[in-house]
Amino acid sequence: MQARFKSIVPLLLSILVLQVVLSINASAQELPRNETIYVGGGLWAPSSNFNPLTPWAAATGSVGLIYEPLFLYIPIKDEFVPWLAEEGKWVSDNVYEVKLREAKWHDGTPLTAEDVKFTFEYAKIHQGIYYSSIWNWLDRIEVVDERTVRFVFSEPHYPEWTYYLYTLYIIPKHIWEKIENPLEEANTNPIGSGMYKLKSYDQNQVVYERNDEWWGKDAFGTPGPKYIVYLRVASNNVALAMLVRGELDWSNFFLPGVPQLVKQYEFIHTWYKDRPYHLPANVAFLFINNQKYPLNLTEFRRAMAYAINVDEIIERVFEGTVLKSNSVGFLPIPSWQRFYAKDLDEEMGFKYDPDKANEILDKLGFKDIDGDGYRETPSGERLRLTIIVPFGWTDWMESIRIIAENLGQVGINVEPKFPDFSKYFDDLTKGYFDLAINNFNSFVSPTPWTMYNWLFYEDTPPIGENSWNGNFGRYFNDEITQLLGEVLVTPMDDEATLRELYRKIQEIFLRDLPYIPLWYNGFWFQASTLHWTGWPSEDNPYGVPVTWPGNWQLGGVLTLLNLKPVVREETKTTTSPVVTTVTKTQEVTETVTVTEKGQVVTKEVVKTQTTVITKTVEQTVEQMTTPTGGNNTLIAVAVVIIVVLAALALLRRR
Amino acid sequence: MGLIRYIGKKAVIYLATFFVAVTLNWAIPRFMPGNPIGILLSRFATLPESAEVMYSYFTQAFGLDKPLYEQYINFWRALLNGDLGVSIYLYPQKVRDIVLEALPYDIVLIVPAVIVSWIVGNWLGALASTNRRLDNILMPIFYFLTASPYFWMAIVLAWVFTVTIPIFPPSGAYSPGISPSLSLSFIVDFLKHWILPFLSLLLVMLGGWAIGMRNMIIYELESNYSRYMEALGAPNRLILRYAFRNAMLPQITGLALQIGLAVAGAITTEIVFSYPGLGYLMLQAIQNQDYFLMQGAFLVIVIMVLISNFVIDIVYAIVDPRVRYTYTGETG
Amino acid sequence: MMLDRIMERHRETLILLRRNRKIKAGASILAVILAIAVIGPYTTEYGPLEYTGAIGEPPSSRHPLGTNTFGYDLYSQVVYGLRSSILIGLLGGILATAIGVLIGFISGYFGGIIDELLMMLTNIFLVIPTLALLIIIAAYIEHRGILIESVIIGLTSWPWTARAVRANTLSLRNREFVYLARMSGMPTRSIILREIAPNMLSYIIMVFILQFGGAILYAVSLDFIGLGPTKGISLGVILQQAVLWNAVQLGMWWWAIPPGLLIALLLTSLYVINTGLDEVLNPRLRRQG
Repeated sequence: MQARFKSIVPLLLSILVLQVVLSINASAQELPRNETIYVGGGLWAPSSNFNPLTPWAAATGSVGLIYEPLFLYIPIKDEFVPWLAEEGKWVSDNVYEVKLREAKWHDGTPLTAEDVKFTFEYAKIHQGIYYSSIWNWLDRIEVVDERTVRFVFSEPHYPEWTYYLYTLYIIPKHIWEKIENPLEEANTNPIGSGMYKLKSYDQNQVVYERNDEWWGKDAFGTPGPKYIVYLRVASNNVALAMLVRGELDWSNFFLPGVPQLVKQYEFIHTWYKDRPYHLPANVAFLFINNQKYPLNLTEFRRAMAYAINVDEIIERVFEGTVLKSNSVGFLPIPSWQRFYAKDLDEEMGFKYDPDKANEILDKLGFKDIDGDGYRETPSGERLRLTIIVPFGWTDWMESIRIIAENLGQVGINVEPKFPDFSKYFDDLTKGYFDLAINNFNSFVSPTPWTMYNWLFYEDTPPIGENSWNGNFGRYFNDEITQLLGEVLVTPMDDEATLRELYRKIQEIFLRDLPYIPLWYNGFWFQASTLHWTGWPSEDNPYGVPVTWPGNWQLGGVLTLLNLKPVVREETKTTTSPVVTTVTKTQEVTETVTVTEKGQVVTKEVVKTQTTVITKTVEQTVEQMTTPTGGNNTLIAVAVVIIVVLAALALLRRR
Repeated sequence: MGLIRYIGKKAVIYLATFFVAVTLNWAIPRFMPGNPIGILLSRFATLPESAEVMYSYFTQAFGLDKPLYEQYINFWRALLNGDLGVSIYLYPQKVRDIVLEALPYDIVLIVPAVIVSWIVGNWLGALASTNRRLDNILMPIFYFLTASPYFWMAIVLAWVFTVTIPIFPPSGAYSPGISPSLSLSFIVDFLKHWILPFLSLLLVMLGGWAIGMRNMIIYELESNYSRYMEALGAPNRLILRYAFRNAMLPQITGLALQIGLAVAGAITTEIVFSYPGLGYLMLQAIQNQDYFLMQGAFLVIVIMVLISNFVIDIVYAIVDPRVRYTYTGETG
Repeated sequence: MMLDRIMERHRETLILLRRNRKIKAGASILAVILAIAVIGPYTTEYGPLEYTGAIGEPPSSRHPLGTNTFGYDLYSQVVYGLRSSILIGLLGGILATAIGVLIGFISGYFGGIIDELLMMLTNIFLVIPTLALLIIIAAYIEHRGILIESVIIGLTSWPWTARAVRANTLSLRNREFVYLARMSGMPTRSIILREIAPNMLSYIIMVFILQFGGAILYAVSLDFIGLGPTKGISLGVILQQAVLWNAVQLGMWWWAIPPGLLIALLLTSLYVINTGLDEVLNPRLRRQG
């Protein structure tokens, strides 16, 4: 037996050797820090797809950095920045003409009108391309000359066309015409026209390298960073730590504790220096199932609108980093505000007023008969509703808890539920829910039509079938359908007509209140000025600094053009700053003004604040230890010893 | 003769298992609610007009609009051609390619962990069986090890060696900045990432083997033939040797069963360390509702387990002929 | 009636059981853990999913096991979670044992074609990696509750029990007293109830203990992968969230370590009890001295 186990010895030895080997530090090849920007917040899956025709699966930056649209759209200024196009205009009611700049592809081939024509016509052959439905109302495309192209419409859908002008990416004809199944293509060697090229990618990151031959150098300048390392960060917590340590320069994460973060660190940059810190990005709606009793009663829905305290959600959940929505869900951007009927909102809109909610419910005949604190239906049946958001979406989870509480206060029994995303999405699209929060397509755009088209899309299937639009609660109104149809064919510059149409839609919305707009989710943005400066802000609003997939053209591209490296003295190579983050929680008694029962009351509220305290410790690399480690080790050792001793004591014979 | 019959009979079982597994794999998503195409497109904010077109296109492209029996036949046909479909989460990568890319990571984790734990565990078990003091110290530890969930062991190791004493990297198979090559620095980097997941598998499995071995040897030592040898005045070493040899046999069958458990352990361990094997892949597939990827990963795991079981069965039958006699019903 | 007979038959064994150190040790750990599960929820002022206001705090007198990123009290989570984990273990274990015993017994006692078919089924389920199968099934169930979880665990983890019970039945069947009973024309039902069942009872108890532990382990693993109960809490769900929210990397050991330690101790106690039983009922394993 002994002989047999001699073979163990070499094995143990080799493990030992292994241990020694492991103590050698692997030297990773690193990109020069002053030429590299580290970005996060828009990459959640290991990316290996750079196909501009499947932007829903492509790594962020594929469209925007590599492939480019005809125009950029800057929502804060309602401005179309001519990009690949030099100019675009309606030359007649149904003909749109685009003049191109002198652009070229990464391989040196010039980008011509033929490429633009091809990009559109490609979707005629390949139905699965996201813009293929354009051919229902686009008749033909004419190439006038090398750099001029004309779109002739059978029925011009003005707002829809405007949307495509900045969300459709031009692809090179000479490459894609040879591809048989473009939708099954991962396109890992992308040839675009953009200011960056794909350098490398793996499980955790995508690296872009500046295209020094970019056609736009003269017109727009050169982007600051030579390399963009887009990181796939495991969670918001990790992103926060990386940002604070200077390992992440540009974050589009929803980070908890932004107010404290900004206060704590001078180098953390946000759009606004103070509340709400972020620009609005989209509208979060409370979706209501308009087909289910009693949610099909307009006044019941109105009572709910009065009962929900959005301010409380913004304080408790978002720490004031978002803004409350108006009653019609019109984002505070110029392109939408132009058509916002403020007077109607003031006259017919709602605000937090539980007394009013109670009054409406009493009038409807919903009364608490059995004395359990919740109202029964007029026919005496118990009433129980549910509200859903996907599990793990913590800000929304917390929000619906508050909504359920608010509704409970006026006697409506609502249970918050957190199904998996697939179940949530299935219930939402099939119309099996009672109440739900969603914001998927209420995004900033050049026209409120995008939101209304999503909310009130006319071909909504009945409950039980999948819908692919935002009319989750199945609210049907022929008048709105007709009004939206008119909006669709009204030229964008005919503001008088449009104002009238949108006013009517808002009136119907406020009258029927099918869904309740709650707050504007933000363009989450935190940047670090440790390595890069020139970030856009309230004072320098040249574009929205967003890097989410398919959103770079809202300003992310311009941000890159404005960034400058921070010139700094060389730090000693033997030392490196070790920053540790300690999260400390403290209770703060705060005086908050709350509207309660119609009166303004000043209340003392005990609030919990998460404070991030940071210590910067100059430490030699050789002595890298986690400062809290000592304490933890002691506890760990103690736990192990106790467990072993206990087990031994119990099992010892003799 | 006996061996061939035995292998034949085993092969039938394994083929049947494969058939059942594949059928289950096919049937479950199709009879449960949920809509993979809807989820695929839900990530993309676009006009409803676009969504409508894409929805019908991809339902067709994934073959989900066909009658069920046809889908079943197509599923088998594709499978036999090595086609596991297209991933949703990692669109448009082929599930086969993704799975094949992940598989090596499982193999480098599981195979060494099973072999090393088997050798070391049996050795420690044998030691414990002959040394009373060692027995009293080691046995509680073994029980505790084998009772620990794999992923918890991984969490403990991660906490100790990446946070408390940060000497190993917390996640991944290699550092982000480095690209796979056969250079020394890559191999070192790879091993640094590999050691903790490997250790967590090793430790948990070790306990089981040691307990099994120790009990088997004691069992053998108390058996009639040992007593008889003792009475005849045979040296202790000789008795022990026989006991050890007899105790070894059940440990080989145990090996077959252990493979399946080790795969299960690896699935959860990989999640803790974000180690890019099949387990981590399965988690991501679940989190992103990528049914095709999930099924592909499941299938490869089943095939892996079946093949390794089959191999061990054959080896065992050669080592111990009695097995095949009882199995095929012949009298030895 | 039957119980008396069993007691009589096993008087000596019972004494041995009480004397066995392993059983004593295992049973006392088990008793403590069960007590925590039963009493624990009454000793905390917080619900398992109740926002306490303290975020990510280390253990203190107010929060004996600290709080997590969401402000939940981990002591409450652990005691409530332990309860549901044990419940799943019990239900799943009972189901797996019942199915295993039934199939194994029928197979072993009646033999022939029934045996062939049942063993075929058993062997198929034995080699399918259970966890992978569980994942596939659980991933498609929308409303996952404790009951569903234990049922799918029970339905997939019986095979080795069936095989072991079959072997046991085969050997019992050929023992003299059964043979005699059959010779004397005793009906099958009586043979099973009077002669075989009492002899197998101790074995079934041991099998159940292992199945109980196994079911807990499977449930915890399923929860950990994110396929646990969609509502409520369990030890596996706590660990899942701990890993998902990088508790370890953020140094929040109190979130990730205690729940697993509890599982490991619970299972250790079960295994030790099982070994103790084995020593008592199977004298060859007992060491002299």
